[in-house]
Amino acid sequence: MIVIDKLCYQSKLRYVNASEKFVYAVLTLAMCVASRSALTAAVVFFVNVYLTVAKGGIPFARYGKLLLIPAAFLLVSTTALVVNLSRVPLDAFAFPMGGWYLTGSTSSVLEALRLCYKALAAVTCLYFLSLTTVMTDILGVLRKLHIPGLVIELMMLIYRFIFLLMETASAITTSQNSRLANRDYRTKLRSFGGMGSALLVRSIKRSGALYDAMEARCYDGELKVLPEERPAKKREILFIAGYETVLLGMAVWSWVR
Amino acid sequence: MTKREKLLLKASVAFALLFAIAPTVNAMHIMEGYLPAGYCVAWGVICLPFLIAGFISLKNKIKTNRRNLTLIAMSGAFIFVISSLKIPSVTGSCSHMTGTGLGAILFGPASVSVLGIIVLIFQAVLLAHGGLTTLGANTFSMAVAGPLVAFGIYKLCGKLNVNRRVSVFLAAFLGDIFTYCVTSVQLALAYPSEVGGTAASAVKFLGVFAPTQMPLAVIEGILTVVIVIGLETYAVPELRNIGFLKGKEAE
Repeated sequence: MIVIDKLCYQSKLRYVNASEKFVYAVLTLAMCVASRSALTAAVVFFVNVYLTVAKGGIPFARYGKLLLIPAAFLLVSTTALVVNLSRVPLDAFAFPMGGWYLTGSTSSVLEALRLCYKALAAVTCLYFLSLTTVMTDILGVLRKLHIPGLVIELMMLIYRFIFLLMETASAITTSQNSRLANRDYRTKLRSFGGMGSALLVRSIKRSGALYDAMEARCYDGELKVLPEERPAKKREILFIAGYETVLLGMAVWSWVR
Repeated sequence: MTKREKLLLKASVAFALLFAIAPTVNAMHIMEGYLPAGYCVAWGVICLPFLIAGFISLKNKIKTNRRNLTLIAMSGAFIFVISSLKIPSVTGSCSHMTGTGLGAILFGPASVSVLGIIVLIFQAVLLAHGGLTTLGANTFSMAVAGPLVAFGIYKLCGKLNVNRRVSVFLAAFLGDIFTYCVTSVQLALAYPSEVGGTAASAVKFLGVFAPTQMPLAVIEGILTVVIVIGLETYAVPELRNIGFLKGKEAE
């Protein structure tokens, strides 16, 4: 139902130690955001695509489509960054409009370009994490990071409920469609609202039932799950450490230069 | 073609492209990696007090009645699912609600801050809307500022005896608009314009996102009202359970 989640369960890297993947993704992301050089972004981008697609076995076409998700935001906000409305034309481009110019400077265009590939490289870091590590494993890592138990428990329950509710929502929508509930805009709005309220009522009922079920199984304020331990390989840790050091070097170099 | 006609043509092509390439209209999540490192940390720190307050309020709610745990989790999942479903839109592009306005009205702004950050994490990891580095900024605009305004307006309208449906609409609509304004300001602070500084930059960001965000806010307002009407008709006991309807109003 959720494409990324489904792909993630198929990934060949799914059973690699979760903390290792988490640390790799977060560190790389930090380096990528902190660095100013195009080279760092390019390295991060290609290494992540290689790891996710070639090593993880995610279909390339799917991956490309996923990369397009943030494209809309990128395009719109970069336009806002580059284009200025001013009385004096700047050096990169200038379209006269009455007494004003739609204009931009070379430095801002370069800055915007740098931002674009930096952001795309950062997105590949996020995708590495979400396409190789399943949510329950990520929660395990968060638990090791001493995030409060209540938050983790809520996340676990929410993650479970998301699929229940999506199933309910899609069943309601199907039955609405079969009764011509989407024939014009008015009915569309009304049926979406109806679906929303029915969904909330059902979810409140379900949550009560779930609590009863938990209590019947001796729930006393803590959800206990048995995490599977898959120790990280030394070679992989060394690789990651080396790679991050190189990235750190590049980031530092991009600042002092 | 004269020079001016050519220019007009170019501008219209650019405009059309902008809308052709933007097939999904989300509530404005700032994408992964789009903010400089300093701003990522700063927005995270600004969110902290709200998150801690929310956490304490949730903890107390669960302490008073343990059953509230599953109820709160269900509300979080509800916000996520509502915001991940395609809503009917006028232009034919697919757009999504934020759902946080509805959440704030139903569950209160304190719980929505914690639920909001959880939902945003799930949106980043599962749907690729938003990101991990921009989590702080997105949390502030969507899980703190927007819900606070929505809740404030809802309460204010209640004090002023405004019709409940109108006040629900206003709360969801203005909450959405405020979220969009805050996001624009966040982007502008990080990337001030060369001509005119931060203020000019904010105006530019507000301008480019307005065509998608304004209709979205209106639709979100209408849908929230329709959902609340449905709930008031069919789910009075449940609404009383989550504290939305107090004893007297429910009758």
